[in-house]
Amino acid sequence: MVSILFEGFVLGLSTGFYCLTTCLPALVPYLLSEGGKLWGANFAIFLEFLAGRFIAYFLFAVVSTLIGVAYKPYLPGWLAPFAMLLTALTMLAFLFSSRSGPSGNRCFLPVSPFFKRIPLALGFMTGINICPPFMAAFVRLVNMADITAGLFYFTGFFTATSIFMLPAIAPTPFINERLKNTGRMTLFIAGVWYLIFGLKWLLLV
Amino acid sequence: MNIFNVFNRGTVNKPGRSVLNDGSGLMPALVFSAAVLLPVAFFSRRISGGELHSAYPLVWALFTASAAFFIFYTGRVSFYRRLFFSGMALSFLVHFKMSLLSKVFASSCFKDTPYCHVAIAPSFFNYLYQQYLALMSGDWRLWGPLSLAFLWLFFTLVIGRAWCSWACFYGGIDDGLSALPKKPLIKAGFLSGKFRDFPAALLIFLLLVSLSYMLPVYCLWLCPFKLTTAFLDPDDGFIRKIQLALMLFALAALLAGPLLTKKRTFCSFLCPFGAWQAFWGRINPFRVAVKPDECSACSACFDACPMCAIKAGNDGRPVISDYCNLCGECLAACPGGILRYSIFGIKFKENKKGFGRMLNPESFLVFSALITGGVVGALFAPAAFKDIFDLIRGGLR
Repeated sequence: MVSILFEGFVLGLSTGFYCLTTCLPALVPYLLSEGGKLWGANFAIFLEFLAGRFIAYFLFAVVSTLIGVAYKPYLPGWLAPFAMLLTALTMLAFLFSSRSGPSGNRCFLPVSPFFKRIPLALGFMTGINICPPFMAAFVRLVNMADITAGLFYFTGFFTATSIFMLPAIAPTPFINERLKNTGRMTLFIAGVWYLIFGLKWLLLV
Repeated sequence: MNIFNVFNRGTVNKPGRSVLNDGSGLMPALVFSAAVLLPVAFFSRRISGGELHSAYPLVWALFTASAAFFIFYTGRVSFYRRLFFSGMALSFLVHFKMSLLSKVFASSCFKDTPYCHVAIAPSFFNYLYQQYLALMSGDWRLWGPLSLAFLWLFFTLVIGRAWCSWACFYGGIDDGLSALPKKPLIKAGFLSGKFRDFPAALLIFLLLVSLSYMLPVYCLWLCPFKLTTAFLDPDDGFIRKIQLALMLFALAALLAGPLLTKKRTFCSFLCPFGAWQAFWGRINPFRVAVKPDECSACSACFDACPMCAIKAGNDGRPVISDYCNLCGECLAACPGGILRYSIFGIKFKENKKGFGRMLNPESFLVFSALITGGVVGALFAPAAFKDIFDLIRGGLR
């Protein structure tokens, strides 16, 4: 099992940069808009995001192993675009429900406790957005068709790809109110971007 | 009668001119313009190489030097800067964009190379490495467009944020158009607080998403100058319609926005490079400084700033943000003349007469900015003159 864990880790290390560029457009605007002066608080956000990803990877490990067992190399085509659409809607809903949106200290919508867990949700949804490294891991798991091995493999993959995201929290203690406002605008642009592509790919399915 | 008096009406502190000019000194102005002429003529000639007759770069150098002369002689920094700046932008349009309409225009190594440091983020490091190799090759003429990042670094050190008002070959269009209406039809001041950082948000997003998708996202989605060039990707459905809509929006911000608001709407609210330059421009020493004790908080500078870069402080007096690009509009608009160009905000004893004016921060800025703008313009302006000359002589073929 150690060799399987290591195999996933090596795949994550070799392809982590690509993973990073897929997840950063969701993570960075959120960190900018909601990060604080304390490293600890920002690290908690970061860990929450990673936890969301881990849950997504965990589920994928189980699902892809089951698919492998059933010899059905099939995933519903709408899953990735739907996740992207959901990511967009979560980002926009968070933005317009946040206490201090870009148009001042107004509250557009009542703040739901759900949105306090948004890094977890964002992490989960970006986790199930299928990127090429993820696809490579998925194919390997279908071939292995072993749930335990799958979990070890994705744990290694997850750990290695997470290393690439660590620099994202480096500048967060320097965030001031102005940068937070800029972060909210970035969150809005990124939300619209995910929305456009989620809709487009859903229409194509 | 001095023939140049036509450009030098009035006295100091009159709106439209620098307070540092008392109207004296034809000779200092000539010397100043000659100091600008020589390097611009040299670089224009070198850049044009054997492609163009030497008259074309000389004409461009004389145009730049004449801007230097009138700025120094009349003290009207922003007015003559704008003539130079808009002229340069128009020549860029003529040579790079209008050339698609006809074969009469000369080709250039830059013609089909829409490089942009912001939009091509995925290839940025490769881009820098290639420029390093080009630099090490020893012959700067071989660098070509791949050297733009090194040039950017150099220009940022020399003029910093002034790039956006003195040397950007796109900004001149926005700037020129914003000067045309006498009064704004729409007051855009309300945007300056809440959305002035939107270009920074756009920059962060573009860097992230360009890296993710390995595409020049700004060029594809927003750049208004795409109007005369092809889309890079083959998509022709849903996405293309959105890209077209955004391009038209950006075009409206570039052309209609300044005419309606008297502000540089595209540069202020949509240009990510402006935000980039505002950030890195801090390493450059030139600033616009205020003498707060003498300010009457009349707000003339807020209204005059085409970049929405001046905000009112708690006491109503101006606070100049990082987005100031040293265009000089506020200096000209201030009735008390309390705004000055400065170096790192340090107060210098300023000379108001003769050759001594050359040692003022304003002269250093104008000198640096005009040479920078002149050299950048030399990449296309002489060729644009040739294009126009060929057009007049031979018509569209």
